[in-house]
Amino acid sequence: MTDTTSAAMTPDKDLKSILAKLQYQDDAKVVQQITAQMQQVRARMAGVKHKIAVMSGKGGVGKSMTTVNLGLALARLGKTVGLLDVDLNGPCVPRMLGMHGQRLTITPDGALPPVGPLGVKVASMDFFLDDTSPVRWKGPMDLSPVWLGLMEMNVIREFLGDVVWGELDYLLTDLPPGAAADKPPVIAGFIPDLAGAVVVTTPSEVASDVVQKSITYARDMGITVLGVVENMSEYRCPSCGAEGELFEGDTQAMCDALDVPLLGRIPFDRTLAKTFDKGTPLLDENYPTLRRYRQIAERIMTLVQYRKVLAEQL
Amino acid sequence: MKFVCLNCETYMNFQKVEQPAEGSLGVFFGCPSCGAKFSMVTNPGETQMVSSLGVKLGGRPAAAEPFEMTRGTLKEEAKAGMGQMAAYLNEKIGGGQPVKPAETAAVAGAAPKEGEKSGGSCPFAAVVAQMGLGSTGKSGEAGQSEFTWTPDAKERLERLPSFVKPMVQASVESYARRQGFTSITLQVMDDAKSEPNGIAWTPEAEQRLENIPDFIRPMARREVERIAKERGAASVTAHIMDEAKDKFLKFM
Repeated sequence: MTDTTSAAMTPDKDLKSILAKLQYQDDAKVVQQITAQMQQVRARMAGVKHKIAVMSGKGGVGKSMTTVNLGLALARLGKTVGLLDVDLNGPCVPRMLGMHGQRLTITPDGALPPVGPLGVKVASMDFFLDDTSPVRWKGPMDLSPVWLGLMEMNVIREFLGDVVWGELDYLLTDLPPGAAADKPPVIAGFIPDLAGAVVVTTPSEVASDVVQKSITYARDMGITVLGVVENMSEYRCPSCGAEGELFEGDTQAMCDALDVPLLGRIPFDRTLAKTFDKGTPLLDENYPTLRRYRQIAERIMTLVQYRKVLAEQL
Repeated sequence: MKFVCLNCETYMNFQKVEQPAEGSLGVFFGCPSCGAKFSMVTNPGETQMVSSLGVKLGGRPAAAEPFEMTRGTLKEEAKAGMGQMAAYLNEKIGGGQPVKPAETAAVAGAAPKEGEKSGGSCPFAAVVAQMGLGSTGKSGEAGQSEFTWTPDAKERLERLPSFVKPMVQASVESYARRQGFTSITLQVMDDAKSEPNGIAWTPEAEQRLENIPDFIRPMARREVERIAKERGAASVTAHIMDEAKDKFLKFM
């Protein structure tokens, strides 16, 4: 920043005493606009009954697969569902649901999200990108992650404030991977009246170690951790359906130590994964792995209304 | 950001904003008393910071378009060349030298010391090493302790998965410290577990908690303990459970 002044400087004056006499006015209207942005986020989210973040400290544990399948399971249970994919640099929810190539419809009232299988509404960075383009921003982000972080947080703020979801029973937000003091818990903190976070892990000890840090950090941020989903808990043979262990970790021990419920275990299911990879998701509610997602979805439905359960059963 | 006219001892008023060059903003202020003018010129980084907030200096004549910032800031070209602003920063930060990814990694402290294995081809080696989860497995061993652990308590701790052990050890020792214990026995471990927030539960209250489905129980425990703390109760009793139930009934 460079300064030019037309008046002579008077450095001997006491700035503290001058400021004590003055009243601050936001004449550049920056604070006013930021306040308006946050009010808009709150207004958009007002029609959503239960807002849930799906997160994990670790990448590659299957957050998006879990988010998408929990969304579909909730839709099968008769709920209206929205999926918000805020993994800006690796958005994959649209592709998994066969919606890649679609676009948000920009209207003066906001951006209308495309509707996918079972009526699930989806918003994703993928809807702004061409077939093979990664996310690239104009500006000096190439060199410093400082500006990139601020930029991305505000893009996420636009996703929260500009998408017209309408009335939803559930909005599941697929957060990017990141460990403890990283973006995901901060993003979750952006969402007003968040019901809580579902944390995805694999039974791998390394994954569990990172995930437990993000659970602790999320709690420090005041985010309720609804529970843990153990993904890739075992391998299901596509030929005979037999199941075997993939890792030798102990997610239950981690959950016990953190005093958080293990909501369910999902096997690595090549048949199911293949359908989502190809954008033609398997939707048969009687398929064994999808039944497991349904059980987890039912538990989440109970958890977000835990006060009702406590009032009835305590 | 505000500027003060030191002659008149008053805030200068925001007047207008101009773009004197790409990646730069000229923000004009004027003193309402003496009429002195002041122009602040931002560098590309400062400009980006304002832009990233999604605000217009001086306010907006109309509401922002949906995804205005996202759409306005995404690069459309397929190849991302180094833009003018990036080049400017490169010159300022890197002294005109290109910033190589390898140099960045070295700054991050991932470089192995002499004589150490580089971690081979594993891309996560540095992260794993940083987490203390390397092949020595030291992070999983019971760490140095000011407490004496009885053999059976130590054995129970050692049976836990390595990644859970430090957390459990810290939690038990924290409880022991609060209670003034110097040695950790099995009983201390059990007590630490049943009093995660320093509040005891009577058997009757514990029994009532069993009525709640297991996956909601941790949340129920926390909520009831929070209510007990609000009431200043030293332990969770059937009476506290009744109060909690009444409170939750009001939400229905």
